[in-house]
Amino acid sequence: MSCHGPASTPVHGRCGSATLAPLSAPLRVLLVGGPNVGKSTLFNALTGARQHTTNAPGTTVELATGTWRTGGQRTADPATERVIVDLPGSYSLLARSSDEQVTADAVRELAGSIVDVGGQPGVVVVVLDATALTRSLYLLAQVAETGVPLVVALTMVDLASKATDSPTSPMEPGALAAALATSLGVPVLPVNTRNRGAGGLRLADAVDAIAEHPMRVTGIDPPAPVPDLVQELAHAETLFAWVEHVVEQVTSCLRPEPGSATGVISGRRLRRTFSDRVDTVLLNPWAGVPAFLAVVWLLFELTSRFAAPLQAFIGHLVNGPLASALTWALGLVGLADSWVQGLLVDGLLVGVGTVLTFLPVMAVMFAALGLLEDSGYLARAAFVADRAMRSLGLDGRALLPLIVGFGCNLPALAATRTLPHARQRLLTGLLIPLTSCSARLTVYVLLAGTFFPQHAGTVIFGMYLASVMLVFGGGLLLRRTAFRDVHAEPLILVLPPYQRPHLRTLGMSVRLRVGAFVTGAGKIIVGTMLVVWVLMALPVAGQHAVGHVPVADSLYGRAASGIAPVLAPAGFGNDHASAALITGFVAKEVVVGSFAQSYAVAKPGDAARPGSLGEQLRASFDESSGGHGGAAALAFMVFVLAYTPCVAALAEQRHLFGWRPMVSALGAQLAGAWLLAALVFQVGSRL
Amino acid sequence: MTLPESPLGAELRVIGVRLPAADAFRLNEMGIRPGTLAHVTQHAAFGGRVISVAGSRYALDGGTAALIDVEPVQRLG
Repeated sequence: MSCHGPASTPVHGRCGSATLAPLSAPLRVLLVGGPNVGKSTLFNALTGARQHTTNAPGTTVELATGTWRTGGQRTADPATERVIVDLPGSYSLLARSSDEQVTADAVRELAGSIVDVGGQPGVVVVVLDATALTRSLYLLAQVAETGVPLVVALTMVDLASKATDSPTSPMEPGALAAALATSLGVPVLPVNTRNRGAGGLRLADAVDAIAEHPMRVTGIDPPAPVPDLVQELAHAETLFAWVEHVVEQVTSCLRPEPGSATGVISGRRLRRTFSDRVDTVLLNPWAGVPAFLAVVWLLFELTSRFAAPLQAFIGHLVNGPLASALTWALGLVGLADSWVQGLLVDGLLVGVGTVLTFLPVMAVMFAALGLLEDSGYLARAAFVADRAMRSLGLDGRALLPLIVGFGCNLPALAATRTLPHARQRLLTGLLIPLTSCSARLTVYVLLAGTFFPQHAGTVIFGMYLASVMLVFGGGLLLRRTAFRDVHAEPLILVLPPYQRPHLRTLGMSVRLRVGAFVTGAGKIIVGTMLVVWVLMALPVAGQHAVGHVPVADSLYGRAASGIAPVLAPAGFGNDHASAALITGFVAKEVVVGSFAQSYAVAKPGDAARPGSLGEQLRASFDESSGGHGGAAALAFMVFVLAYTPCVAALAEQRHLFGWRPMVSALGAQLAGAWLLAALVFQVGSRL
Repeated sequence: MTLPESPLGAELRVIGVRLPAADAFRLNEMGIRPGTLAHVTQHAAFGGRVISVAGSRYALDGGTAALIDVEPVQRLG
């Protein structure tokens, strides 16, 4: 066998029988590869900002689709465009999760489409990890069996060239690609995923060429259907043998001495890599958990303390100068003090301001997660935290968003994207609202300080303990009901080598994800704010103009009064509490302000002053609870802990998981919060 | 012996995987199957192990590692 075929030139082997569609149809390119092979980085490098994310039909599996534009020569149009889809990372087309199923279905659908006369032309780019050829080649074999035209993009070549213990390394990237191309019979292009110019254009040319002249991978033929696991195993053995044969061929080319192939590196001493040395600390039985907790603490601090001043600045900017400027401009056109001004300033601008104040925390979270993922630590975090999450059937990575949720639920929901399985992402996303975010702390401080001044710290600690119990209790309940399919699987995790994150790619990823948050969740947040304004602006009693209504006479106030009796079994069936809870839907930060507003107290922080908010809270809670104000206050805190954190979290849940899970979660949270609060009050008032 | 019983840095040959069939199959697909040569590169908490196979590093939880049977590779000469 010749070992030096040109890697970038299609090797014209046996052609498949694919029928080509008219050249005017866009070429569909599927990116297929294992987790952490650099597939998404390659996708970002090829598409730039011309991409968007959607959920695969009928699933909560996120798919990124983009336009891959080059000056290729497939059509007369100098700006040749291809539609490229970044499929979920997968080790095998024999799917074991909904994410892997999406990948398998997409490949098979493309194979079926190509066979159809007039079907959309398509090519699969199989992303092969040069540092893990054995594993990558198995997936390639499965893709090749479907009959789709394919091109190989060889990633991690820089790492492979420096590796010391792989059967094909150390080696020169071009030589490895050439040896692989010769062995496989299809184009193999080394690509530098961090640099669009390095390999991208040659990859595009190879994709265009293979779309017109499909070739089969040498040694792989479409298999007969396999009806059961036993036959699948038997068939897989033939693929394993093929993989070993290819690695043997490639290794023979690169290193002609005998006995050096296929991972069978017998006689070789283990050479500890830089990653191995770092892992002796980060995965150490004693140091690993503290290191993990330090990383989580850093995330927590970044999303709370670091982002908080930026949030405050944006809040002041929107509510101060921007609101004043808009009010002034409306005054110029004769709309001062009109309902239009109320709608635009107190409704629309407040809604937009809410979305904007979340941008820093979301950007910080996306950047931090990207750094952890790109550096290779996230996989280690999953390994270290595996034991803690196993009882809930969750991946160790779920611990990270759950802890971040104690700072703010919104970035925690965004962090669920790091989980590899859609069902695990959904389960974690449903548990996150039960983590007690810092906004809820303001309510605990007010009520614990008012009703339990001698034990306020203990009460607040108890609320955090209750939050942890709710997460685990809720998780166990969900696993025994709606999530019976989620169970702890053996942890078999590939640990990627540590790498320096590429800041340009990371920056683009953060920008795209923040943009998706604004267009996805942002619209719902603004819409909800407008609805709240309308409820508060419409009078239902007294003689008031629209937009100038005291809370008690507004539709909002009437709704609060209507809800109050429902809350009576929990001991806080008064208008003040129900109005505060309704406001709490918007954000928990405003619950205390709502109390202050409804009691017409100027300084809500001064709870010890006679006639202050604290005094009035005590009076109304004592009254609505029949003299058991303390039990009612505890029940109120439990309700605040257990019900919907805020409209932004709801919007993000809808964005990530769809309407049905979001609405179901909302109903369950309200029912659960009511039941728990009633239980706490009924027991507490009898002690 | 099993993987958790193996010393750090030792060269081993996988001789059996006693996981449920579907899980063992996935392990095979990922490149760990009877005959595969591996080194233990890290002992982690709760019996977890990191092994090196053909240049890749795999992290296995303690329960899974305990169901992988290995034997030491005898070096010639």
